[in-house]
Amino acid sequence: MSQVADIAAALRSGSITASQLVEDCIARIRIRDIALNCFTGRSFERARAEAAAVDAMREQGLPLPALAGVPFAVKNLFDVEGEVTLAGARRNEDNPPAARDGMLVQRLRDAGAILMGMLNMDEHAYGFTTENTSYGPTRNPHDASRISGGSSGGSAAAVAAGMVPLTLGSDTNGSIRVPSSLCGVFGFKPTYGRLPRSGSFPFVQGLDHLGPFATSVEDLAAVYDVLQGTDPEDSACAQRPVEPVLPQLSTPRKLRVGVLGGWFHEQASEVAREAVRQCAEVLQAKPDVQWSMAEAARSAAFIITGAEGGSLHRENLRKDYAGYEPLSRDRLIAGSLIPGDWVVRAQRIRALALKEMLAIFEQYDVLLAPATPLPAHEIGTAEIEIHGKRLPARASMGLLAQPLSCIGVPVCTVPVWPQDCAPMPLGVQVIAAPWREDLCLAAAHLLEQQGVARYVEAAPQG
Amino acid sequence: MNCEALDTYVRSALQLQGYALDEASVQQVILQFERIAAIAQALESVALPLEVEPASVFRP
Repeated sequence: MSQVADIAAALRSGSITASQLVEDCIARIRIRDIALNCFTGRSFERARAEAAAVDAMREQGLPLPALAGVPFAVKNLFDVEGEVTLAGARRNEDNPPAARDGMLVQRLRDAGAILMGMLNMDEHAYGFTTENTSYGPTRNPHDASRISGGSSGGSAAAVAAGMVPLTLGSDTNGSIRVPSSLCGVFGFKPTYGRLPRSGSFPFVQGLDHLGPFATSVEDLAAVYDVLQGTDPEDSACAQRPVEPVLPQLSTPRKLRVGVLGGWFHEQASEVAREAVRQCAEVLQAKPDVQWSMAEAARSAAFIITGAEGGSLHRENLRKDYAGYEPLSRDRLIAGSLIPGDWVVRAQRIRALALKEMLAIFEQYDVLLAPATPLPAHEIGTAEIEIHGKRLPARASMGLLAQPLSCIGVPVCTVPVWPQDCAPMPLGVQVIAAPWREDLCLAAAHLLEQQGVARYVEAAPQG
Repeated sequence: MNCEALDTYVRSALQLQGYALDEASVQQVILQFERIAAIAQALESVALPLEVEPASVFRP
C-alpha cells in the first residue's frame, strides 16, 4: 500500500486537505512520541505554513507536485533552515542555526512534502543503537524495552509507529539498514554518490550515504525519484542524470537472485538465516554465493570509519572530552590513533573487494543477506552473542551491513517477520550492482507483493 | 601486537596527538584500540597486488 499515492488521491478528490493531514500528524506525534522519543525537535509551525501553501495550490487548480501533502521528518544531522543541526550531540546546541535546508530536505520541500521535525540518532552517527545519553534512547515501537537500532533510530521508529509515512536518514556503515531491520520498515541506501549530502553533518565522507525510510517499496521509489539529481556542492555526488525507478517498478522481469554465504551466513543467527530463507524461496534464489572479500571489506570499513571519524572530531575531543557521548568518545579517540598504513591498506582492499563483487554481479542481478545478525535487543545491553561469540553490542550490529556500504552498492532493507522472534521483525538486505537501484527496488517490490516483506504499524503499548 | 606493545603505542600516540586524558579514560581508549587492532587483522591476510590503488573519491 502506498501512503504517498493515497495522500495524492485524497488531496485530488478533496476528501481531505493538507492542513487536516498535518493536524492529524501532529496529534499522532504528540501521543506516540511520549513513549518512543523519536523527535528531538518539532517544526509544526513550518508544517502548517507548508500545508496551507499546498491547499492554496489546490484551490487555485494548480497541478500538485509529486509528494504534495506528505508529512516527513529527518534525522537531526540534516540542515533545516532556522534550526541548529545537532547531529545527536548536546555540544552542538550552541552552533548557529542552519541558514538553509540541506539539499535533500529542499528537494522534498520543492516536491510538496511537509516537514514535521527532526529525529533522534546516535551522537555524530557513531553507533547502531540510538542510545543517546543526552537525548535519551529512541525506543522500538514493537517493544519499547528494546533498541530501535541506529544510528538513524528516530527515523526508523517514527515510521514504524505510524507517526509519519516518510523519513530521511544516513548510512555510513549500516545506519539506515540496521534500524530498518530492527523496527520493521523499508529503508533504502542508494549507490554511494547517487544522492548529494550537501547540508548534512558529515561523519566519514568516503562512506556517508543518505536515503529514505518508508512503509512500502512504492513510497521508497517515489521519494528516491524526487531526491535524485546532481549537486556540485558534494564532490562525491556522481554527475548522473535522474534515472526514475517508480514508473518501471512493477514491470515483470526475470531476476537472477543469489544468497550471499560465507561471512553473511556465519555471522547471522538462526532467526536472521530464516528471514533470508523466506525471501530466497520467493525469488528462487541460488544459495551460498561466495564473496571472499566480505570480512576484509567489513574490516576496511571499520578502519576507514575509525580513522576518518576520529580525525574529524580530534580537535574537539582534545578540548572537550567530557562534552562527548560517553558511549562512543573512547572509540572515536582510538580511531584517531590508527596507523596510516592500515588506512591506506583498507582503501586498497575496498577497491579489490568491489572488483570481486562486480564479477559476481555478472551472474546475478540481485543478492540477499540478513541486515542484522539478530533482532533488536534490550536497551542497555553491552554485548551481543552470535553462535557463542560475544561482541560489543553498540559497534557490532552492523557487521553484516558494513561490507556492502564499504563498496557502495545500493541496498534496500525489507522487513521480514520470522516466527521465532515474534513480535519483532528482522530485515533482509536486497543488494544490486552499483547504479542499479532499479533492480534492487524491483526485487524488494516483488518480496512485498508476495507478502514475505511487509510493513506492520506498531500498536501503541501500555 | 602484544598487550605491552599496544599499551605503549596507544599512550605514545595519545601524547603525539595532543590528548590529555585521565588514566581511566586512557584504559578505555586502550580497550577500544585493542578491538580495532583485532578487526584490522583481517586486512593483513589479503594479498594486495601492486597495481591496486586506494579507493579515493578525490576529484581535482
